[in-house]
Amino acid sequence: MKRALMAAAALTALSPLGAAAAERTLTISVYAFAQDDFKALVYDPFEAQCGCKLVVETGNSVERLAKMEANKANPVVDLAAVSMADALAASRAGLIDKIDTAKLTNFSKLYDVAKDPNGDGMSVGYTFYATSIAYRSDKMKIESWADLLKPEYVSHVAFPNVTTNQGPPALHMLGLALGKDTPDLKGPIEALGEKKDDIVTFYEKSSQLVQLMQQEEIWAAPIGRFSWAGFTKLDVPVAWATPREGQTGGMNVLVLTKGSKNQDLALQFMDFWLSTDTQTKLAEKLIDSPANSEVKLSEAAANNLTYGEETAKSLKLIPSAIALDNRAGWLKTWNDKVGQ
Amino acid sequence: MFQNRAEALALAMPAAVFATLVFLLPVAILLSEGFRTGGGWTLSAYTGFFSETLNRTVFLRSFRLGLEVTAVSAVIGYAAAFAIVNLPPKGKGRMIGLVTLPLMISPVARTYAWIVILGRTGIVNEVITGLGFSPEPLRLLFTETAVFIGLLQLFLPLMILSLISALENMPRDAIPAARVLGANWFQVFWKVVLPLTREGLVIGGTLVFTGSLTAYITPAILGGSKVLMLETLMYQQVSVANDFVSASVIAFILIVMSFAANILLKRLATARSRR
Repeated sequence: MKRALMAAAALTALSPLGAAAAERTLTISVYAFAQDDFKALVYDPFEAQCGCKLVVETGNSVERLAKMEANKANPVVDLAAVSMADALAASRAGLIDKIDTAKLTNFSKLYDVAKDPNGDGMSVGYTFYATSIAYRSDKMKIESWADLLKPEYVSHVAFPNVTTNQGPPALHMLGLALGKDTPDLKGPIEALGEKKDDIVTFYEKSSQLVQLMQQEEIWAAPIGRFSWAGFTKLDVPVAWATPREGQTGGMNVLVLTKGSKNQDLALQFMDFWLSTDTQTKLAEKLIDSPANSEVKLSEAAANNLTYGEETAKSLKLIPSAIALDNRAGWLKTWNDKVGQ
Repeated sequence: MFQNRAEALALAMPAAVFATLVFLLPVAILLSEGFRTGGGWTLSAYTGFFSETLNRTVFLRSFRLGLEVTAVSAVIGYAAAFAIVNLPPKGKGRMIGLVTLPLMISPVARTYAWIVILGRTGIVNEVITGLGFSPEPLRLLFTETAVFIGLLQLFLPLMILSLISALENMPRDAIPAARVLGANWFQVFWKVVLPLTREGLVIGGTLVFTGSLTAYITPAILGGSKVLMLETLMYQQVSVANDFVSASVIAFILIVMSFAANILLKRLATARSRR
């Protein structure tokens, strides 16, 4: 009888059911962007390395944070990729845990700006992007963010809506240029409101812009560097501005869900994502600019991404706390001045 | 068909339970958010919403655009449906296919097509400048007109298909009879066609009005911040301000407007047929 039971247990362990039960599973929540490439370059190689199963959920930040909040008592997601500000929101809501960076072999390779973006030890940057102005170099010259509002240019400008990721950073830089730099962004929003009828559009999707520039509908627009590649393929001369006030941008970070039962595996995956090899592959495919300072890129990739220590240092990012505390106010001021 | 009422109810029960749990209950919970501010049941979220000028402007704009799109699609829809039902069977099939075709294309693709058509170098501006109506290309994109055109193109097929169905169910002799009795074409339409096709008009009108009110991508791309609509405002409240109470208020307003449109159209149609 005893032998029969042992044989049954051995058979169960060898069966697919037994194997599935023994297999470790890591659930991650990420942006829906470029998932086929992520599968080939990140997910599949990691699964092969860890002998585990990766479950990938996608959605926008709001959906993901809402889901984390709803499952707070019994977390479903182990690791999430979110914006800096959303990471701080999750931290304030008690949804994420401190990251034990001692377990990340690639942590020391990150640019300083990516090591602890919110200064609370709760997130690690995996990619960042510069935001500046793409413009028709044969039609205009951009030396300052304020040039966008010049009477001879303004009727050929598209500006990002405040609801987009590019909106607040671009407003922040416009505020700097106009000498109206306050966290409530009131100055630049009012300045835009005065010219709202001249400005071609306050865009929602950066994917619109290449078409608008191709059709000569616009000559200039503040964009994230990740959108730049499309402009270089146009048959009109388009330049990336280096305004005297500098460039702004944004950063996406990785966070660990509070109470996750798979934190060691999540840290292993985080380390894999931050490795020089993975970051190089993602950058060469023009998916994400590397946060790992040891990544060496081809000229073609470097020209299309936010790359290099100097660039990383020069970005004037809006601190997450300011973004979080002012978001609703920005929207209200924007709708009052621009949306009426 | 059924032995008794209980048997029919029993058959409907699985679908009813499913719809209640998966649709009605979550919607009810979402909508209740707007009535539960400050710990108790109150209308303060609604009064607060309508006390802001921007919200009133957006509400009126959405309502007006919804009505305009519905009215114009009814006019074009009657003309198109009338022409199609009078075609020989082969031509009728082809035309219905053409009307249905846009419904198979993503609204995003159809909206982006308008960016090309209405742009400075687009076909509309080429005609306008070519015929000398304007020395400069007009700014047509990112205006209320662009949103109107986008919505009309998006939902017109629904009106045409509803009216084709209604016209085909109309007695074939009704129009010739009215003509023989001396009615002119306007009287034929007003006193014969309209009452006999009212169900199609109610269905088409409700679909177009509700669709225009709740469309997101077309107003967002062709209008943006310059032509803020209720659904774009709702998206902002959720995604930027994280204000689910305001979003719930807007959702409730949209649902009420859709039901009101349906009831109003039905009443108008019924009142017409009683005269």
